[in-house]
Parts: sequence; structure tokens; C-alpha cells
Amino acid sequence: MLQHLVIMLDDTAASYCHYESRKTQRRLISLDSLKSGILFAMKQNLMLQVVYPRYEIPDGHKAAIESIDHCKVAQGNGCVRGVAVIIFDGWRDAESRLAVAEAAESKEKIVVLRTGKADFFAGHASAMQLLSRAERLNVALTDVDTFGEKDFAAYREALAALGEAVKQLYAQGLRPQLNILTDRLQLEKANSCNAGYENVTLAPNGKFYVCPAFYLEDESDAVGDLSAGLDVKNRYLYGISHAPLCRTCDAYQCRRCVWLNRKTTGEVNTPSREQCVVAHLERNASRNLLRSLQSAGLYSAENAIDEVSYLDPFDALTGR
Amino acid sequence: MKKLVGKVTVEEKDEILALFERRNGLSELAKIVTAENDALYEKLVSDIGVTSTKFQRWWDDMSSKYQWEKEDSKKWEIDFDTCEIFLL
Amino acid sequence: MELIKDNVVPWQEGSAKSITFIVTKDCQLACKYCYLVGKNAGERMPFEVAQQAVDYILGNPQLFPEKSVVFDFIGGEPFLEVDLIDRVCDYIKVQLFEKSHRWFNSYRFNFSTNGVGYHEEAVQRYIEKNRSHLSIGITIDGTPAKHNLNRVYKSGKGSYDDVARNIPLWIKQFPQGGTKVTISSPDLPYVCESVLHLYALGIREVNINCVFEDVWRDGDDQLFEAQLVLLADEIIGKGYYRGYACSFFSEIIGKPLDPELQNQNWCGAGMMLAVDAAGVFYPCTRFAQYSLRSKKAVAIGSVREGVNRNRLRPFLTLDRSTQSPQECMVCEVAAGCAWCQGENYDAAETSTIYRRSTAICKMHKARVRANNYYWNKLYRKLELEGETNNFEKKEAHVIC
Repeated sequence: MLQHLVIMLDDTAASYCHYESRKTQRRLISLDSLKSGILFAMKQNLMLQVVYPRYEIPDGHKAAIESIDHCKVAQGNGCVRGVAVIIFDGWRDAESRLAVAEAAESKEKIVVLRTGKADFFAGHASAMQLLSRAERLNVALTDVDTFGEKDFAAYREALAALGEAVKQLYAQGLRPQLNILTDRLQLEKANSCNAGYENVTLAPNGKFYVCPAFYLEDESDAVGDLSAGLDVKNRYLYGISHAPLCRTCDAYQCRRCVWLNRKTTGEVNTPSREQCVVAHLERNASRNLLRSLQSAGLYSAENAIDEVSYLDPFDALTGR
Repeated sequence: MKKLVGKVTVEEKDEILALFERRNGLSELAKIVTAENDALYEKLVSDIGVTSTKFQRWWDDMSSKYQWEKEDSKKWEIDFDTCEIFLL
Repeated sequence: MELIKDNVVPWQEGSAKSITFIVTKDCQLACKYCYLVGKNAGERMPFEVAQQAVDYILGNPQLFPEKSVVFDFIGGEPFLEVDLIDRVCDYIKVQLFEKSHRWFNSYRFNFSTNGVGYHEEAVQRYIEKNRSHLSIGITIDGTPAKHNLNRVYKSGKGSYDDVARNIPLWIKQFPQGGTKVTISSPDLPYVCESVLHLYALGIREVNINCVFEDVWRDGDDQLFEAQLVLLADEIIGKGYYRGYACSFFSEIIGKPLDPELQNQNWCGAGMMLAVDAAGVFYPCTRFAQYSLRSKKAVAIGSVREGVNRNRLRPFLTLDRSTQSPQECMVCEVAAGCAWCQGENYDAAETSTIYRRSTAICKMHKARVRANNYYWNKLYRKLELEGETNNFEKKEAHVIC
């Protein structure tokens, strides 16, 4: 069931996920389209998530957005007020601008850290600072599809180090949230992104897309528009029930990115080996963290994450 | 007229099937490998000898193990689908 | 002699890797139902490409763990490139032997040919050279009228005479050889007489199927069912069931399928590997561009880059329930209802293999009805003749 509408205000709107936003030419959504999109969300009873560009949008647009309950997603450059999700590109960006962003805001923040593997492996030591200052830290790896065996090993090590940092914060009485480590401690079912199934995106051209990545990759890949309505062909393929590898997988923290799936395997419902192994390294690191927290009396002993013998559920499913 | 005289296990059948296939493969390979290619030719000749020996040994071992009926002018044959041995 | 001849199971079915060389996209014929929309005389496989493919496949045995292999050569018409094929087969044999590859003990070369050039010297020389490792099927659709309805030369002339003259030679060389018959809407009135005609030609194995494409018209299912009932009467009446097989009639079709225990994919796409003249790998030939009407080709690598295993994942994890609409999952006669992954992909609204086309639904149901008729009639006959009493009897419920 559709629950969220993402509105991308401009072609240069910040990426908040795995995809790159490479467009440099501004193309602001028309006020009419914005208002129609908001009306659509209201009638469909959808929660609105608005993704901002790096520049200040016109007052008319601001007023339209403020006419409805919504969530603001923006780069951490301080030019948008009331941001709920702040995006940083890499550890250094986060370190240098978190204070600026904080100064501009009063609310506690969800921080999205978009980072490539080289940056992540080199900079994860500064996670403590971010974890203690943000309400929640979401790491979005931008090059999962390029991971090789050495990267998997490095990721395993980085997750172990992050696990230690999280444990220290727990010991200080904090409850840090780091998507790739702590989500799995509590989840009892998949926490998929569900783009195309539970959320769709309204792009600056007034058309609907599965998510911003689908729009940025190919504008002709629309799934409807504001006048004709939403039309997601083969919509069932975006749900987890029709994803053979995912529906029995317990790496629940995995966002099951359908854009990455299509990019790497050709099908929106099938993840690549790299995505699966990364998700299982996270899952296993969560298991180690849970056991470590439990043994220190910092977490309920009732929770458990089973041990599994594979890193890629494809191996388990196909017997390979 | 062929007469059913016994049966072997699937594993035993697989063993002779592999040897049968190998013998056929070597026989067809022999049509294209010439003595000019020394190494390959020698490997082939050697393999033909080894495979033929293994092939005959299988029949000797199995007939001894199962004590199949035999006649001088007739020979045994195996049905690879059923593992049955016939005298014909 | 077996009481009822079973449909022949393909060699090493389930344990053999199928490697397909698309050696040419040319053909002497221009069959009206041919799914190959992009046939042409230009794309012929260079030997070097085939060689690279063989080197890659045999050099990476861990990627191809099957105990046996079938090398398929297809076109167009494969025997148009018999000299190339001969050279490739020689290369394969030498490489298998030199590398002490396990497939040397278990390989076949497989062909589906239109039969037009079967008698030619080069083809016969090739057959003689590789006889014990060959599997060849000639496609002949039935009576001259039925065959010539679709299987025509580019000029429009029917090809029946040129194919039929080669059937005796083929049967002599491959007594177990089967033919593949494809049924489209205009062929329906000829189904019964065509199968009987093929039996009369000495072909004991007739593999026959309806095209998967959405070509069926109103009333086609009734016509099909009537033809199959006629055929059932003929097969039973004339005793063909003892030594001849027709794949339309099978005891295992027409039953419901368990959604969990019988959830396997029907099609083998992805288990196979096809390579074209440019050295591009496909999960099956049906995903090469020349086979597709409306979608882009689905490549899974190349002879230079190897197999992209991520691209294979959707094929290897695909199951029945994920791609089937609900009507198929609850269908009471689902067993034996086939699908082609390539046609599913080509017909789907989006570029996905996870969308089962149901264009064949009513034809399958017609087949099931005729199939039920066939087995009920045959077993009753055998029972009355005292030949069997061990078939599954229906419970004799009395309703009154």
C-alpha cells in the first residue's frame, strides 16, 4: 500500500541514498505541479517527503510545502530551515558542516552520510562524534556494486570497529542509532525501502518515478503523471513477497534498493551478490554487537540473531 | 533373441557408462589426431589402451561377482536405462 | 515390449549443461511462425569466437559444475555452417581431452535442423565423424499441407518435399530421433492428420507444442480439443501407443500443483548458456536480439569478460509463484502448463522475466481435456483386453 510521496523539488536536489545526483542545471518543479503533488498526497493519505536543492526555493513553493505536514530532506548547508534529514557527502563533509547545520536548526537530526567505500574505510573512526550528536546516522554506501573480496574484508573490520564505538556509547547510557549496525538489533521483519510499492517520487517534470534514482537515470522511465495518475506496471515486483532472495532473508536492516537491484541484475526484485554480502556482513556484525552488549548487561537477553552459514542467500537458495 | 541374465547397481552402471562414453570419445578423437602432434597422439594411444583394459576388467569383475549365464557364441549387453544385463 | 511408449527423456536431462552456439542467423526457410524476428545472412560466427567461448567455458570448470554437457548448434539453420561446426567440434574434443576435462566422458552435439540440406555431403561427412555423440532432430510439421502452410522458402514455396526425402536417411541413422512440431492458429485443423502422417513416415517420437505467443483466436481451443480427441481415437484404435509417442498426451499433466512443493520454474533459461557471433553470452537464445520483438537483448557476459553472475541471479532464483498470476497458482489443471521465459519477457509490460504470459492458457486447458479423454479411453481398453489392472481407478461414487 502506498504510504509516502517523495517530491524532488529540483533536478539538482541532493541525493539521500545510493544514487548520484549528477545534474548541475537547475530545473525547479513548477508551482502548479508542486501544488498538484501535494493535493495528490493529501487525497491518497500519503506522508510527504520533500527533497531540496542547494539553493533557496521561491516563497510560493515554500508556502505550498508548509501547507501540509511533511519531512524536509536537504544537504547540510544551512540554507533550508526545519530540516529533518540532513545529508552529508563523506565523513569530512559531515565533520566540517554538522555544526553549521546544527546551528541553523533546533530539532534533533537524522543524518544521512553518503560515502564510498574508500572514504568509509578511511574515516569511520570519526563515527563516535556523529553518533553522539545525531539522533540517528544512516550510512548510504554509494558504490556497493563495486565491492570485491578485499572490500568485504575491510567492511567486516570497519563494522567491528563501529560496533565497539556503539558499545562505548551504550556504556555511557546513550542509545545511538546506526542503520547498518543497530537497526537489526530490534527489527523483526524486513525494513525495505519499498520504493515503487510503498512510496513513489514526483520529479520536477511533473511525472511520477519509482524513486529519484529512476528519474535521474532515465526520464522516460516514468510510472505515471499528475494528470493521468500513478501507474506502476508490475507493481507486485517491488514488494518483498515477490523477491525470491529477499522474502526469506533475515538481514532485516537491508534497504533492498530496487534501483541497485535493476542496475546490477536487471531485475528490480533481485539483489546482486555484492548487496547481499554487504547486508550479511552488517547482519553478522549486528549479531556480534548484540552478544557483546548482552554479555555486558547493556541489552535485553531476550533478543537473538541466529547464526547463518552463508553471506549470500543465493548460495543457500540455489544450493551453490 | 536377447535374454535377461542379471542386473548391476546404478553405481556399477555409471562406471561402465563412463568407460563406454570415453571409449567412444577416444575413437572419434582418433579420427582427427595425427602422429604429427606427438604429445597428444601419445596421450591418446595410451588412454585407448588404459580405457580398453578398464572396460574389459569391468565385465570380468561383474560377471564374476554376479555369475551371469554365458554362452561361447554370445555376448553380454547392458541397458544403461535399467541397469539390466542381457545375453545375446 | 513396453505396453505404452513414454515420451523420450532428453539425454542426461537435469544433469547436463547446455551450451548453445548461434552459428548463423541465416536460414533457407522463412517459416511463418518463426520467433526469430531478426534473422539475417550477415551474422555468422567466426571460428575465433567459438574458440574463445570454448576456452572460457573449459577454462572455468568451477562455473560449470554439471557432470555432462550438450553443445547445441543452432541458427537460423545450423547446417548452413557445417564446416565451422566441424572445426569447432574438433576443437572441443581436443580441448576436453587435453585438459582431462570430466566432460570428455559425457558430451553430446545437438542439432535441430530444417532437414533441407541433411543429405549433403558435408553434413553426412560430419555425421559419420561424430556419430556416437550426435543428437539430431529434423523439424517436419506433418502432412504436406500442414508443413507447407508455415515452413516455406523465402520465395514462398513449401519445403515439404525437400525435407521428407531426407527423413528415411535420418531415421536410418537416428532411429530414436524425434521431430519437433509447432502449432499455431492456422495449423489447428491439421493436428491429427499431421501426427499420423509423421508416424507413417517412421518417426516414433513427435514432440509437439503450441506457440507461446498471443496468437490464439476465439474458438481455437475447441478446435484444438476436437483435433486431439480425434488423434486420441486414432492412436488408441490403431495401437500406436505401443511404439510411438506424442508429447501432447502425458499422464502427469492436468493436475493442480502445490504452491510450495511444486514451485519450480518451468523454463531452463539461465541454466543454459548461449553465445552469438559477436561472442555475447545469453541465458538462452530467446534473449538474443534476433529473437525479441519488443525488448532489448538480455546479455549475461561475453567471451571476453566471462559470465556476469549477477545478471544470472534473477534467472536462477525465479520460481513459479513469483512470476505467475493468481489464476495460475489456483489453477486445477496447472501441471504441464508450460511457459517460455523469453516470450514472457518479450510480452511483459516492463523489462522483466518475472511476468508469466498466459496467452496459452485456453490451449492448455483444451489439451488437458483431450488428454483426460485419451488416458481414460486407453486404460479402459487395456483393462478390457486384460493387459493391465493396475491403473488408478476413480472412486465409484454413486449420485442418486
